[in-house]
Amino acid sequence: MDTRPAAPVEARQDAVVAARIHQTPGRRLRRALAPLPWLAPAVALIAFVVLWPVWEMFQTSRQHINSYGFNLGNYGWTNYSTLFADPNLGSVMLRTVVWTLAIVAATMLISLALAQLLNRAFPGRRVVRWALIAPWAASVMMTAIVFRWMLDPNNGVINVFLHQIGVVKEFNGSQASWLGNPNDALIWMMVVAVFVSVPFATYALLAGLTSIPSEVYEAARIDGAGWWRTYRSITIPLLRPAMLVAVLINLMNVFNSFPIIWTMTGGGPDYQTSTSTVYMYSLKQFNIGESGALSVVNFGVVILIVLVFLRANRSTLKEG
Amino acid sequence: MKRRLAAAAALGLSAALALSACSSSSKTGSSSSSGGQVTLHFFGADYGTAGTSNSTQIYWQDIATAFHKQNPNITVDIQTIDWNDFPAKLHTLLQAKNYPDIIEGDAPQAYAQEGIAYKASDVLSQSTLDNLIPTFAKQGDYQGVEYGIPFTTSTRALYYNTKLFKAAGIASPPTTWAELKTDAAKIAALGNSTIGYGMPLGTEEAQAESFMWMLGAGGGYVNSGGSYTINSAANLTAFNFMNTLVTAGDTEANPGTVNRATLWSDFAAGTVGMVGGSPAVVPIIQTAGKLTSSDWATAPFPGENGVVSNPLGVDDQIVALNVHNDQGAIQSFLNFAYQDTYQAQFDKEYDLLPATTSAADAQESDPIFGPFVKAIPTSSSYPVNANWSDVGTKIKQTIGAAVDGTSPSTVLGQIQQFAQSDQ
Repeated sequence: MDTRPAAPVEARQDAVVAARIHQTPGRRLRRALAPLPWLAPAVALIAFVVLWPVWEMFQTSRQHINSYGFNLGNYGWTNYSTLFADPNLGSVMLRTVVWTLAIVAATMLISLALAQLLNRAFPGRRVVRWALIAPWAASVMMTAIVFRWMLDPNNGVINVFLHQIGVVKEFNGSQASWLGNPNDALIWMMVVAVFVSVPFATYALLAGLTSIPSEVYEAARIDGAGWWRTYRSITIPLLRPAMLVAVLINLMNVFNSFPIIWTMTGGGPDYQTSTSTVYMYSLKQFNIGESGALSVVNFGVVILIVLVFLRANRSTLKEG
Repeated sequence: MKRRLAAAAALGLSAALALSACSSSSKTGSSSSSGGQVTLHFFGADYGTAGTSNSTQIYWQDIATAFHKQNPNITVDIQTIDWNDFPAKLHTLLQAKNYPDIIEGDAPQAYAQEGIAYKASDVLSQSTLDNLIPTFAKQGDYQGVEYGIPFTTSTRALYYNTKLFKAAGIASPPTTWAELKTDAAKIAALGNSTIGYGMPLGTEEAQAESFMWMLGAGGGYVNSGGSYTINSAANLTAFNFMNTLVTAGDTEANPGTVNRATLWSDFAAGTVGMVGGSPAVVPIIQTAGKLTSSDWATAPFPGENGVVSNPLGVDDQIVALNVHNDQGAIQSFLNFAYQDTYQAQFDKEYDLLPATTSAADAQESDPIFGPFVKAIPTSSSYPVNANWSDVGTKIKQTIGAAVDGTSPSTVLGQIQQFAQSDQ
């Protein structure tokens, strides 16, 4: 919201134009380059840790490299044609989409409710807020290993519990082997992924909720707005910037999520629980070129998500 | 002021990154010898459990320490990794150009093809070379020259739980697939989540379990000419039969996701009727303490029409890399490590079989290991094709699907296609 009075802006612009008329090209260049010393470190950092690796990755994807890392020369687009002819690619990409969307959606819904709860004053709120950090602070790999053991078909605690309440009929059977069956394994891994993503999203939304001024709610109450109406017309719109940040960061994290799947199923059997990140890693063990091509594709997907997301939320982000 | 501080911090950070990148690249590129002091890097598989007293790290570290005492200018840096993570970790090292000097646990052919491996005769004395068991020594060949050096070996047999057999009313171990199926069904019917036949087709060693079944049908990974025959009719017969076992519930659920280590310890816990295994199952049974020595026995692996006369024989090879030009140091270390005492110590620790004739002869009359040692001369080994290492990885990652609902001809066909395209 630009609340500055209009006149001084115009006056300043006049001054800039006047200054420009009196400048020689050399001085203008110097003026344009003046911020460079301050920007250079950041630019160098981005070039070094972002752009250069991207270029290297693209170069790698066009080389013929065997699994021992020996470069056997230029390969043109062969790695890409191998990748697109790969019978597993379609199902892996589809699974990646389902995986990402399902987890982000579930995370946001749960976090919205949790953030509302934690925004209310109740005895022990501080303890609950701290407890929520635990799954976030714990190593994802550790969490995934713990869940893998809890789902052990022979003596995992989840199976023991399900057996006691009569859901699982027999240990070691196909029903108890949750991680052996691709569909069940995916659902369990999504549960773990939601479990580790919820804390961050909740805190982001909680920060958004606390920043909504109470006067707005007061005004709504005076106008006689009901609970649902208040939530829809005040909470949600004012929460939008926080929600956008949470969704975007979650999308990236979940899309790139590796440790959960790798630890719990290794992407198997036969890549049937692999997302594109996990599949890329499996390929790397015997076909670096195809793996490189897939990482270029993955990078493209990430860029695409960001662009679509920024475009769809242009107005909101400007306000924020 | 704040911004300038941030800029300075960014500058410092990027400088640090640049510096660390330089230092790490110079480190990987450097030869490990300096000033007469040589450091050899040894990368091997862990046959025990990392962090415990039976870790192979300790076995090699003891050898390295004893060796360093005799050769003060050579230090051997030991790193061991458990079998399930071994291929990924090894390839990560190689792809980062971080070459070990000695690798234990991988086939040598691909290194020989790249020209980065020493010939066995370059790094081992003639007397040690002559002492290697011939069946396995030729597994290290690439184009007629021996590069790999067998270090430890094993043959496979069928372990069965005699207590469960008695409870299910079975008199003798199966000799054919049909008998195996009947017996497995009877044992599974005992209840208490007992597994009839344990079929480990998870990523740890799926290539071994698959090979044992292929051999039972007269198939295998390659024909006598060395061409891949992964989707041959015999191999498909084997996998179709394995599917009947899985769908009947005679095996554990979802074999494609279950590793050998899990089933071996389940067998030791007394909940598995039959499982294929190497002598390494014995210490697991003894440690678990659930089965007495009369509760289990071994028998030859059953085939389609009778026991398999050419059972799977596995040898884990050592290959020395010439990247750092440390031939002299590698040679003295390997000659030191291949002494009979160390071979015997390794076999005793892990109940595997030796790679040297002298050590094998000493074990032939052993009641438990004798039958395994005697099976060595007729055993079948993995292919020696240059791309076998890659094909093996592909098999580990995918072959389990052939018993988990995807048709065997599709799965084996894709592996065959990969094996032929990745030459």
